[in-house]
Amino acid sequence: MSQRRTKKHGKSFEERDATPDALKVLAAEFPKGGPRQFRRRDFLKAAGFSVGAAFATACSRAPVQRAVPLLTQPEEIVPGRSLFYASTCGGCSAGCGVLAKVRDGRPIKLEGNLEHPVSRGGLCATGQASILGLYDSERLQRPWKDGKVTSWVEADREITAELQTIGRDHGAVRFLSGTVTSPTTLAAIRDFLKGFSDARHVIYEPLSNSAVLDAHQKAHGVRVLPRLRFDRAEVIVSFDADFLGTWISPVEYTADYRAGRNLEAKRVSYHVQLEPRMSVTGSKADQRFAVAPGELGLLLTHLAQRIAHKAGVPFAAGEVDTPSLKVAVLDDLAERLWQARGRSLVVCGTNEVQQQALTNYVNHLLGNYGSTLDLEAPSRQVQGSDRELEMLLGELRSGVVRALFIHGVNPVFDLPGGEELRSTLRKVPLLVSFAQRMDETASVASYVLPEPHYLETWTDGEAVTGVVSLSQPAVHRLGKTRSLLETIAAWSGKLKPAYDIVRESWKANIFPRQKKEPDFEAFWERTLHDGYAEVAAAAIRSQPFAAHSVQPILHAQGLDANSFGLVLYSSVAMLDGRNAYNAWLHELPDPITKVTWDNCVSLAPSAAQRLGISDGDVLRVETTAAAIELPACIQPGQHDQTLAVALGYGSRLSARFANVGPQWIDARLSVGDKGVVGANAAPFLSLRDGGLHYGTAVVRLRRTGKQRQLACTQTHNTLTVPNKLAPKGSGPRPVLEETTLAAYLQDPHSGVEDHAEKEDLWPTDHPYLGPRWGMVIDQNACTGCSSCVIACQVENNIPVVGRDEIRRNREMHWLRIDRYYSETASGQIEVAYEPLMCQQCENAPCETVCPVLATVHSEDGLNQQVYNRCIGTRYCANNCPYKARRFNWFNYAHDDQLQNLVLNPDVAVRSRGVMEKCTFCVQRIQEAKIEAKRRGEKVSDGAVETACQQSCPAHAISFGDLNDPNSQASQMMANPRRYRVLEELNVRPAVGYLTVVRNRAQEGMEGSIEEHHG
Amino acid sequence: MAEAAIALRPPLIEGNKSIAQVTHDVCAPMEARPTVLWWAALLVSFSLLVLGAVAIAYQVAVGVGTWGLNRTVGWAFDITNFVFWIGIGHAGTLISAILFLFRQRWRTSVNRAAEAMTIFAVMCAGIFPVIHTGRPWFAYWMFPYPNTRGSLWVNFRSPLVWDFFAISTYFTVSAMFWFVGLLPDLATIRDRATATWRRQLAGVLSLGWNGSYRAWQRYEVVYLMLAGLGTPLVISVHTIVSWDFATAVLPGWHATIFPPYFVAGAIFSGMAMVLTLMIIARRLMHLQQYITLRHIDRMCKLVITTSGIVGLAYGTEFFTALYSGSSYEQFVFLNRALGPLFWGYWTMVGCNVFVPQLLWFRRVRANVPAVFLICVLVNVGMWFERFIIIVTSLSRDFLPANWFHYAPTRVEVATLLGSFGLFFTLFLLFCRFVPVIAVAEVKGVLNIGKPGQEAAHE
Repeated sequence: MSQRRTKKHGKSFEERDATPDALKVLAAEFPKGGPRQFRRRDFLKAAGFSVGAAFATACSRAPVQRAVPLLTQPEEIVPGRSLFYASTCGGCSAGCGVLAKVRDGRPIKLEGNLEHPVSRGGLCATGQASILGLYDSERLQRPWKDGKVTSWVEADREITAELQTIGRDHGAVRFLSGTVTSPTTLAAIRDFLKGFSDARHVIYEPLSNSAVLDAHQKAHGVRVLPRLRFDRAEVIVSFDADFLGTWISPVEYTADYRAGRNLEAKRVSYHVQLEPRMSVTGSKADQRFAVAPGELGLLLTHLAQRIAHKAGVPFAAGEVDTPSLKVAVLDDLAERLWQARGRSLVVCGTNEVQQQALTNYVNHLLGNYGSTLDLEAPSRQVQGSDRELEMLLGELRSGVVRALFIHGVNPVFDLPGGEELRSTLRKVPLLVSFAQRMDETASVASYVLPEPHYLETWTDGEAVTGVVSLSQPAVHRLGKTRSLLETIAAWSGKLKPAYDIVRESWKANIFPRQKKEPDFEAFWERTLHDGYAEVAAAAIRSQPFAAHSVQPILHAQGLDANSFGLVLYSSVAMLDGRNAYNAWLHELPDPITKVTWDNCVSLAPSAAQRLGISDGDVLRVETTAAAIELPACIQPGQHDQTLAVALGYGSRLSARFANVGPQWIDARLSVGDKGVVGANAAPFLSLRDGGLHYGTAVVRLRRTGKQRQLACTQTHNTLTVPNKLAPKGSGPRPVLEETTLAAYLQDPHSGVEDHAEKEDLWPTDHPYLGPRWGMVIDQNACTGCSSCVIACQVENNIPVVGRDEIRRNREMHWLRIDRYYSETASGQIEVAYEPLMCQQCENAPCETVCPVLATVHSEDGLNQQVYNRCIGTRYCANNCPYKARRFNWFNYAHDDQLQNLVLNPDVAVRSRGVMEKCTFCVQRIQEAKIEAKRRGEKVSDGAVETACQQSCPAHAISFGDLNDPNSQASQMMANPRRYRVLEELNVRPAVGYLTVVRNRAQEGMEGSIEEHHG
Repeated sequence: MAEAAIALRPPLIEGNKSIAQVTHDVCAPMEARPTVLWWAALLVSFSLLVLGAVAIAYQVAVGVGTWGLNRTVGWAFDITNFVFWIGIGHAGTLISAILFLFRQRWRTSVNRAAEAMTIFAVMCAGIFPVIHTGRPWFAYWMFPYPNTRGSLWVNFRSPLVWDFFAISTYFTVSAMFWFVGLLPDLATIRDRATATWRRQLAGVLSLGWNGSYRAWQRYEVVYLMLAGLGTPLVISVHTIVSWDFATAVLPGWHATIFPPYFVAGAIFSGMAMVLTLMIIARRLMHLQQYITLRHIDRMCKLVITTSGIVGLAYGTEFFTALYSGSSYEQFVFLNRALGPLFWGYWTMVGCNVFVPQLLWFRRVRANVPAVFLICVLVNVGMWFERFIIIVTSLSRDFLPANWFHYAPTRVEVATLLGSFGLFFTLFLLFCRFVPVIAVAEVKGVLNIGKPGQEAAHE
């Protein structure tokens, strides 16, 4: 110690030697007085102040954020991992099976239930998008009375009191609904109505197929829709039935249709479509004839006449007008049907009883009942009766109805004479709506008792007799809503949760219909797990075909030259208007027209030319019933004297989209002049003679002189370049390949000759040692239904950009479906689809040009996009030959906190200024890889399903490891029909396409409708 | 012999100037109060600059979506303007470096202004690569700098990174060259200055220039070396810029002819811009005796030469497309000439190939207003050239379903105008504060001290 003290320490020699200069410097460096001592009292002062300050700031109470763990942690819930609950889609009455993907307590995606016997894994665009309805912040959360929020207790008390009065007075009570496939709900309504002496349940559908049921009633004595089995049909003739698009049960029919057209399984049906407008179904037909809407009946009669002749059955057709189709065409059609009797199917999509009866007659003569039309286990997807609706409207007008309950339909919007109906409904003393949103009808109702979203409640369904399914809640109810079952139970004084009601009903009614499970509990558990159960169908007592029900249609409903017939149809996106609240579906390009955010008047190119109309000219269409103004859309393949307008637009529910999308100085509204998206075409409908009619004559068509540029995602519609600009000898661009069945049978490589693989001069410098992900899309199976587009949007958090941005060609869909028209030698228009997403090129042009390495190649063949690193030079997008990349031009709105709950937590929400694109659902690949690693296995084939692949009702997409020769994708890659788009650029895309094969002998064969009208 | 040569060759500077006169002629406008015309010109330019600044601020605040781009056409005005301005710069470097090495002494009257133009044009050009990005605040990620992001490097395969190197090198060398050339003149300003601030500022900037033999000798060496450095840049910068397109797979972009084609085009447009500026400057600042009709005549000859090269390139592109056998390639060129933007294509051909043919005539070359008009048209044509190359190739590429047209928005047009505002504002300031003519160099080309000339100066 003492030794140390003697030692002299200095920081430097200068200091040690204490030279005057050094001392000066030191004096400047350290203040006099030496280091400051921190004394005990100072410490206490400072501590006191700190503690005091801390207390002072703590006086205001911080917002309480509860993060209370579940009292009993459910065993299966692991944060960050998804659970799948089997349920039934409530998007429409088709009743497809879904698996609700629930992540941390909230459903974020719907997947088709592969095991479901009706839908078989697919889901349509409406179904995929229906999850957005769950998180719709404008969905009603509590009961309303006369425009004001009320409570359930109060509403119940008042309504039951009123019902008691009505019951005492023997007043008329009516329950108006759409098709209800739920046996429990149907029974509940029935029981409820039993309590009144004059009560009736009236069912109608805005997209009515009542005539199908009426025709069967006449012919077979049962008012049902047979289950249509397109998979069993070798020849399909469809008279304006858009069964792949929107007709009755498109997912089921697409799966069936696809099964019957499987080249690999050596099954190829022959499909003929006769229709006035170009439908999704028509776009897939092997032969398609554009016929006047008024002529379908006449053509059916001609067909029936020929089939009857072949069957040796007298068919008194008398003097039948000559059809516009060549006789040879009809003869050929009849012959083909006759050859395939028992294995053919004729369907008719019109809502005309006489035409439906003729269709039934043809099917009956062909012996199709029992094979392609199943009357034993019929479909329950259509139950409406236009006749009863008409009666109800009469009753309403006469004012006898004391109480009207409206469930699942929006008659003020979707029926003709909506305005008149609105005032009629106002006079109904007790008008109760169960609408989820304040739609046109709900806004005149005395009570709106909102139902929960189908993912919030228990219900069941029996879409096809014998296939019962359960619908279970996947999330706690977001508002104070109450299901119809519970409401009815409450009114009868037996307030019970829907779960108990459904369970009891199943125990009593469904359980006895099956023999597999002896124990109800086990049956219930299994059904809940599977989502459905197959039970015995109640016996249908159908009578043998009553031939007298058929009356020939001798004349076409003629149109004068230069006049038009108007056809009202449902679009894939809006259906009857039920999707008007749904931004995803508004932004979904129509499969045929590629128009978004609007409905339009489509007319044939020849008619447009004659009248000097071009795309976007606002036309005024007048009929005797109504008049609307809509932009024109020129539609190849449409009959010359037909105008077509989509229903379901112009709903007040779409008013909310005025300012959807980025707002800046040049931004325009997404809605039209009337403040809603599109215009409602329902006033053109007519309800007469017990039927809703979807066709009418146009009284006047004129240009208003206004312009409304359509927000269309595709502006060039053919594979050929404009004539003027076509280099000599160049044909259609070889980016979508088609062939005929005859050519295919001769050489399966037919159509892909140009794509023969050439030897590569360059060595493979980056071999894929593990898996290499790849995809194959069967264009022959693809119907363009666009369910994949929405599935991708949901899965990958793709923003909605609004009409103006689409108009500027800035849609964000990672997966788009290119639609190309081609014209055959005879002038017939054909359609082919090419779903296009990032092709995950091996030699990706985008990767080399990014200055900051924001897009790089993964070791398993993915072209990765690193959002965080992207600075947005857009060079990659410019250099992408497929233009598969999407740029965030703005910060797209994510302000709606409720709607944000639908976002997939596995996928980043991209900010402004970065590029994005399809990643082959890398989050799903990653999940499967982690799972496989956990198990110590390799990722098995089929363990990764991309969202688009999963949703495809036609199973047109295969995905998997191309390095595994046994994977499904590899095998599809080995298909002789396979080609790659733009492979001549040597970008080596990882996506293969299979040719479109039309069932035809040769190219010239379709040239048989020379003299079709015009 | 020598006398004969001098007698045959007219003097480069007219008016039998004495050395003092030269100094006075060039420096006087800077020392006097600015004219009304200058103020008016500055007001217009500065207004445009402000307009452009507002447009850019709005675009950066809101998003690139405020431009008319779309998912098919990802570049349009932005990169057009960038290439246009970079091209403009090239004439300056050509005049200052290449013509210096080739002992083209007539360059002395125009090189200062041409170099200034280069620097200002590169500054205008430099704005666009930054603001065209989706997230301009991260544009510095294009720089290869050491970082803590796992040492994330730039992509050396990307032409945009090459661009960054090319342009930053170009700017640095051009600025240095200009500054070194300015040293003797800055010293002159210093020596003539009456105001203290002016003397001090010029004194600092002139780096203590004392006009000694040693200073002159070093100056000459440095100048020569910088000229040597600058020469390859004339070729390399626009070659690299052309690779932005040439290395892409897009028909109409993917062309091996692009480097020489772009370099010629750059010199072409640059010469036209130098002429445009010089014609204005000699008129406004009464420098007709320094920037003579002979200068204009020679630059016109360069314009017609490069116009010929550019015209040849246009023709070759069509031939290459035809010869390629690729229908995509052939279509792109047919589409340029006859497609929806045909008017742009023919504006380009008309302005760049046909109009300059007038310069074959001596009378046209001697007609200053005519030359001015032709040069303005050439600049219009060259802007359209880049626009046509970028937009027509993008808007109609491989898959017809992707085809989509492009139309600019107000914001884009304002940004283009703003770049002109910046350019002219800087140029006007340059005219005020820096000798527009290299006084020291011009003195070297005077005939003073040469045989047969004494009499004139007696």
